[in-house]
Amino acid sequence: MKFDCIVVGGGVAGLTCALKCAEEGLRTAVVSSGMNALHFSSGSIDVLGFGGDKKIVYDPFDDLHEFIKEHPGHPYSKCGGVESIENAIRFFREKIRENGPDLFYNGRRNHFSVTALGTLKPTYLSQKSVFNEKLKEVFSRKPKIALLTFEGFRDFYPALAAANHKRTPMIRDCELVTGSVALPESVTTRKNPHEFRSIDICRLFDSERGIETIAGRIRDAAAGAEIVGIPAILGILHYDRIHHRLEELTGALIYEIPTLPPSILGMRLDNALKEKYAELGGLLIAGDEVAGGEFEGGRLASIRTRNYGSEEIKADCFVLATGSYFSRGITSKFDDMKETVFNFQLEYELPRNKWRRSGFFDPKSHPFLEYGVKTNDLLNPFTQSGTCVENVFCAGAILAHYNPVREGSGSGVAISAAVAAASRIASHCRRG
Amino acid sequence: MINLENISFDHCIKCTVCTIYCPVARVNPIYPGPKQSGPDTERLRIKNPDLLDESLKYCSNCKRCEIACPSDVRIADIIQTAKWKYSPKRFKIRDFLLSHTDLMGTLSTSAAPVVNRITGLSLTKSAMEAFLNISSKRRFPAYEPGTFRRWYGRMKSEQEAFSEKVIYYHGCYVNYNDHELGKTVVRTLNKLGVGVTLIPEKCCGVPLIANADLPGARKNARYNIQSIETAVEKTHCSVVSTSSSCTFALKHEYPGLLEIDNSAVFNKIHYITAYLSRLFAQGPVPELQPVNLTAAYHAPCHLERMGGVIHTLDLLSNIPGLKIVLMHSECCGISGTYGFKKECYDIAQDVGEELFKRIADAAPDIVITDCETCKWQIEMSTPFRTVHPIMILAQSLGVYTF
Repeated sequence: MKFDCIVVGGGVAGLTCALKCAEEGLRTAVVSSGMNALHFSSGSIDVLGFGGDKKIVYDPFDDLHEFIKEHPGHPYSKCGGVESIENAIRFFREKIRENGPDLFYNGRRNHFSVTALGTLKPTYLSQKSVFNEKLKEVFSRKPKIALLTFEGFRDFYPALAAANHKRTPMIRDCELVTGSVALPESVTTRKNPHEFRSIDICRLFDSERGIETIAGRIRDAAAGAEIVGIPAILGILHYDRIHHRLEELTGALIYEIPTLPPSILGMRLDNALKEKYAELGGLLIAGDEVAGGEFEGGRLASIRTRNYGSEEIKADCFVLATGSYFSRGITSKFDDMKETVFNFQLEYELPRNKWRRSGFFDPKSHPFLEYGVKTNDLLNPFTQSGTCVENVFCAGAILAHYNPVREGSGSGVAISAAVAAASRIASHCRRG
Repeated sequence: MINLENISFDHCIKCTVCTIYCPVARVNPIYPGPKQSGPDTERLRIKNPDLLDESLKYCSNCKRCEIACPSDVRIADIIQTAKWKYSPKRFKIRDFLLSHTDLMGTLSTSAAPVVNRITGLSLTKSAMEAFLNISSKRRFPAYEPGTFRRWYGRMKSEQEAFSEKVIYYHGCYVNYNDHELGKTVVRTLNKLGVGVTLIPEKCCGVPLIANADLPGARKNARYNIQSIETAVEKTHCSVVSTSSSCTFALKHEYPGLLEIDNSAVFNKIHYITAYLSRLFAQGPVPELQPVNLTAAYHAPCHLERMGGVIHTLDLLSNIPGLKIVLMHSECCGISGTYGFKKECYDIAQDVGEELFKRIADAAPDIVITDCETCKWQIEMSTPFRTVHPIMILAQSLGVYTF
């Protein structure tokens, strides 16, 4: 099999890159092993949330100019400039909207989204059921807020979220009530209460059965609150309609709060990306694993996978977007770490006691989070013998020199590097 | 002592992603989903088999959980093994009849018209439901008189004249239910300059696995691999199959679930579209006539599991005039013998509902799918004729007419 571009990894970075490649008219395939980290994400897109000393960033694109100067090795400095990063984020928002949720953005500024623990976090794009213009306006009036969960659901605790809300200057002065809503018995027949997860309630909402009853119970539990926060379970298919319907029936503004995995908010983005990609004729090889590659004259010529055995899959260009430790893009052993697929050079330190700081919540975070594949300014990786592989581009969490947690930059880096890589691949393929 | 050989369940991080993508858990609230039925309760079962949960029977072994798992846990394998290993070994006549496709085929083809008539009678259907727990709502696949192998016997000398040959693992379906597909495969390959050889074969074992008869499946697997090894060693030919589930078993279920080593011939066994798309890539691409049809393409679960969908799409993309509408990745529900069982029939139809709707929305002239049981399910549940991709290619090559 022969492609223009093969993307190894099917997460935000891989899918965005593949989507862009397919849109450029390239024959593209994605090889993915297991579902991606969107299933574990907040479903919001961060570009840059925190500067040095954990200072909150309000205008990410303005701050990026300075940030790039200060961090020359950072992936953001390899994406073709701040304007390209802004365009990449816009590209992502527009593509998501075609098959998925409309994403709220606050002009060029960040806004705050609520976490599963009830803290606030600066972010750039959020789904409109999470934050929107109306909520922004009502929040500024210090309204009464209700935080509610559903009986039997174990992955969101309103009292905990409320306690954290109370510590947040923006919400501190609001009146807060908490409560829980029983789902109609007719629609909850799960045998095992331990299996009652976000997806189960989500399916119930998607079936749109009993919405009136649920809305009535939400209204009662909210006790006159203007705004009601509930765990993010309002469906994977009909979330827009269900969100509006609930607001209509309860007379309150409703916002979704990310839950523990599986993340319904993240899955909406995943579906939207995959559907758009398929529409553009992109191919997805799921549930497989790349077993290695054949290098010829300093270029990657083909890959082999576990399922295809000796059958080679050839391409002009490749993208490595396999993620970090969690997605098994990097494997760490007791005394070493490795890039899993091609054994490309990593930027990291030895011995292992340098990988972490002693405090779990150390404000400087942990060095291991910044380890990743070494790349040149065009995002090309290096083999162990030091050869730069010019037809391979890296994107997303596999990249070195950034700390997605401390900077609040994970999805922004994934999208920007993905789009930058796709543009470079497109011109590479056009050159022939 | 706990056997530590297969502890892939230990890699489970309890993320529940498998349960999201489980078609059965989506429609059946009684099934707790692959996470709980697989890795979660396997921990308990290895300590005490009495903790077996009877809900395991709802798993249809579609393998979608394994495609979804980010931690590479062989969830469906754990469940199939547990079904056999821990459940009481009671002989169930229904499961025996459903899973012994070659035996049933041999018996039925000798009196096909009578058998087809009888299985189509509502009285028979009611009786099968009452006594055998086979759903009376399920339409039975028709048997053909005689076997594909007998037809091939008359072609043998002609086939041997080709200098390039491939071994065709036809499977039970072609041998007993759909000779036309087998004949079309022979004519298609002949047109491309390739002769067809048959070798001794038994049922691939997929229905045996699904009905918790792992020893039976293993016996067939050993037989098939030995037969393939002998033939490949002698002729160096590739082995092709037109059934996505047979191919999946020969290549992946044998070493993965049944622990039968197939490494000597793994790279020689191909799903037919993989073989042909490579033949086309090597060139020259034969002259193809336009097939002016809009076709909805449904990818079978087992073909997805082994990454074969792109080969079929690649092959079909060569055919001028053919417009493919790709159906969203979804299980059709039948999962082989699963949808025949009384307790699973409604689940199977609920699982497939989304696919049937999408097919209807596409308003195709025809539906294409690689799997015979998906074909039964789609033809029973929608008004559309459903064919194997090879039939379309054959039409384009001028060796078959609709």
